Amino acid sequence: MKKTLSLALALTLALSLTACGGGESSSAPAGGSSQPDASASTPADASASSAGNEAEAVDDVAAVTEKGTLVVGITNFEPMDYQDADGTWIGFDADMAKLFAEYLGVTAEFVEINWDYKVMELEAGNIDAVWNGMTLNDEVRAAMATSVPYCLNAQVLVVPADKAADFEGLTSLEGLNVAVESGSVGEDAAIALGGSTVPVPKQADTLLEVSAGTSDAAVIDLLMAGAMIGEGTSYENLTYVLNLNELQGQDSEEYGVGFRPDSNLVDEFNAFWAEKVADGTVLEVATTYGLQESVILE
Amino acid sequence: MAILEVQNIEKHFGATKVLEDISFGLEQGQALAIIGSSGSGKTTLLRCLNFLEKPDHGRILVRGKTLFDADDPATQRESEVRKKRLHFGMVFQSFNLFPQYTALKNVTLAKELLAKEQPGFKSRKKEILAEIEGEGKELLAKMGLSDRAGHYPHQLSGGQQQRVAIARALALHPDILCFDEPTSALDPELTGEVLKVIRSLAEQKTTMIIVTHEMAFARDVADQVIFMDGGLIVEQGDAHQVIEHPQQERTRQFLSRYAD
Amino acid sequence: MFFMSAEFQTVVSALNEGFVKTVQLFLVTLTGALPLGLVISFGSMNRWAPLARPVHWLLRRKAPAGRRPGKLAGALTAFRPIRLICRLLVWIIRGTPLVLQILIIYYVPPLMKVFNWGGGEGGRFTAVAVAFILNYSFYFSEIYRGGIQGVPVGQQEAGQVLGMTKSQIFFQVTLLQMIKRIVPPMSNEIITLVKDTSLARVIALQEVIWMGESFMKGNRGYAGLIWPLFFTAVYYLAFSGIVTILLNRLEKKLSFFR
Repeated sequence: MKKTLSLALALTLALSLTACGGGESSSAPAGGSSQPDASASTPADASASSAGNEAEAVDDVAAVTEKGTLVVGITNFEPMDYQDADGTWIGFDADMAKLFAEYLGVTAEFVEINWDYKVMELEAGNIDAVWNGMTLNDEVRAAMATSVPYCLNAQVLVVPADKAADFEGLTSLEGLNVAVESGSVGEDAAIALGGSTVPVPKQADTLLEVSAGTSDAAVIDLLMAGAMIGEGTSYENLTYVLNLNELQGQDSEEYGVGFRPDSNLVDEFNAFWAEKVADGTVLEVATTYGLQESVILE
Repeated sequence: MAILEVQNIEKHFGATKVLEDISFGLEQGQALAIIGSSGSGKTTLLRCLNFLEKPDHGRILVRGKTLFDADDPATQRESEVRKKRLHFGMVFQSFNLFPQYTALKNVTLAKELLAKEQPGFKSRKKEILAEIEGEGKELLAKMGLSDRAGHYPHQLSGGQQQRVAIARALALHPDILCFDEPTSALDPELTGEVLKVIRSLAEQKTTMIIVTHEMAFARDVADQVIFMDGGLIVEQGDAHQVIEHPQQERTRQFLSRYAD
Repeated sequence: MFFMSAEFQTVVSALNEGFVKTVQLFLVTLTGALPLGLVISFGSMNRWAPLARPVHWLLRRKAPAGRRPGKLAGALTAFRPIRLICRLLVWIIRGTPLVLQILIIYYVPPLMKVFNWGGGEGGRFTAVAVAFILNYSFYFSEIYRGGIQGVPVGQQEAGQVLGMTKSQIFFQVTLLQMIKRIVPPMSNEIITLVKDTSLARVIALQEVIWMGESFMKGNRGYAGLIWPLFFTAVYYLAFSGIVTILLNRLEKKLSFFR
């Protein structure tokens, strides 16, 4: 109800904005029609709106096949999705996404999105999947249709390397200023362990906090820590010391791929994944990016 | 026939009556001075003649032709008002020169714009513009401003600016030239040069209406004088007669303040 | 030498790509908003009052002579719909953050299944450009309005008595005086626009700051680099420096009159 109300309010404002733009510059409709390939007005997408309420399958497979591309929403996140020196998207997720597109008989298109708006991007039809090392938590499961988990992750504590010894064997974060990504799983963990949190917009920003000394420590994804700190980065002076999931006696986190609610791409993905696990492709790609320990092969 | 006939003009601003039953005539080549205290309606009357205000009642005729009739909307069409204005020239109290143009361009601008609307303009463009410019220079020379043609208004004294404004009004050859307190915004030592110009225009039999506070000047230059008070014409007649031997008590009171 | 290193070269070429987007957005916004702002400013000064004539007519026919019109008649006479709508829109656009307008313009139409801008960079740029043009044209319109209303009414009257048409008065008399008046406040807005372009990254338009940040997470083989983000300041300083010089030049050019 609240969602509908706020959406209606926003629409009123949007209409007043675009009505004016349309009346005086007529740029709004022109912009919309200039992108027919990614248009949400395909029949499949149009029916997606009702799918939220009634559990009726959404034929995204047909829609994707029709336009010939699988649009994958990503952020720049080594080692999952990142660009090589030529600007080509690579990484464990990117490589597997290309294979999935091939499996569907289309090509993969990668679009960088603002992570805060991933659900909106999906529902608006700007992208077909969120495939970017996304931790499967309750919020994600509520807002999207999710795949089988394919990779393990944990939250780790990042600290200055020269002070690493002070943090060994800690059982709580009390008395520490801990930088976290706002709204992340890491933030939940830091709060649960009694740290006073410093929420910042991105995981990468938390490292800036520790590096600059404005926070004592940061909580980020293990996979990200592996790629972003230590030798050859601007964060050579940082290291990670604690696995917060173990510290809390919890299981590891799992990564999954998100689709529009009730999308039939989920089944398609799960079948694809089982096939690629079985023939050894998943392990092979994972090994390329140093993820052989984390990837789920069941 | 009178060149100008004003009949029963009435004007309200909201509930305030600013002009009431104003009627007078003016002959070709005559100068009419309108005197009266501030707020008596003199300026509003002048603005009505120039279509800057629309009277609520009455008629305005030039050479016997009705320019404005409050009861006839056909005489009030915006498209025609523009051309009708050209019967009148207007010199404002605050000069209102265009600051971004030189003195010469101020004089010639309106004429150039009118010329551009003529059908044969493109073929004779250079010729026509040169003609207009020559005429503008001549007018400035008449105002004693030959050496100021290329100056911008802010580089000129108040008296010089007002003389440029007079040249600008004359450039369109109006039937009747209106002055709205032309020297009121000037320092006393600068009024002389402007009054001298107006005086010489009167000597050349230019038809003029001058709203002024300079009583001696009105007496010497004008043929007719109208004294207004509270939106009404209190007294009108021969300039010497009205200013030296006023018939009405109110006129006498007003003039006594200007005795010296 | 760091400036010759592969790292520096790679980062700078990425930042250059982002900077091209920044400059494009800046230019498209100005091209759209400068004229559109003028149209809106005319709208918010529009005097069209459709009820004035009928009300006056009624009063003349029905009201007893000498009675002054009441409050209702006054309100109806003063009802100017075009002006009202324009001023309402000015309030809405100036009263809400640009970031919110970008989000609404980009996401709400597709969420309501009206139309889609497209998920690629092209679609994002179009949506952001529309948001910026709208936002800035309403800001500009108020500056224009101040500039036009600041030109003494005597200028217009002088044009009228010289037989000029409304458009002649505007283009030959008022416009340049208005431009002279608005150059200082417009300069402020335009410099703000240079920096506001960075808001476009909220919907992932890859302008220069987005590019700078991308090297924190990893981009083109480099990860965990902080300096590219701070280095973007060089681009903004150079850009706003050039814009400032150009605007100062314009101001000087207009100083020949007062």
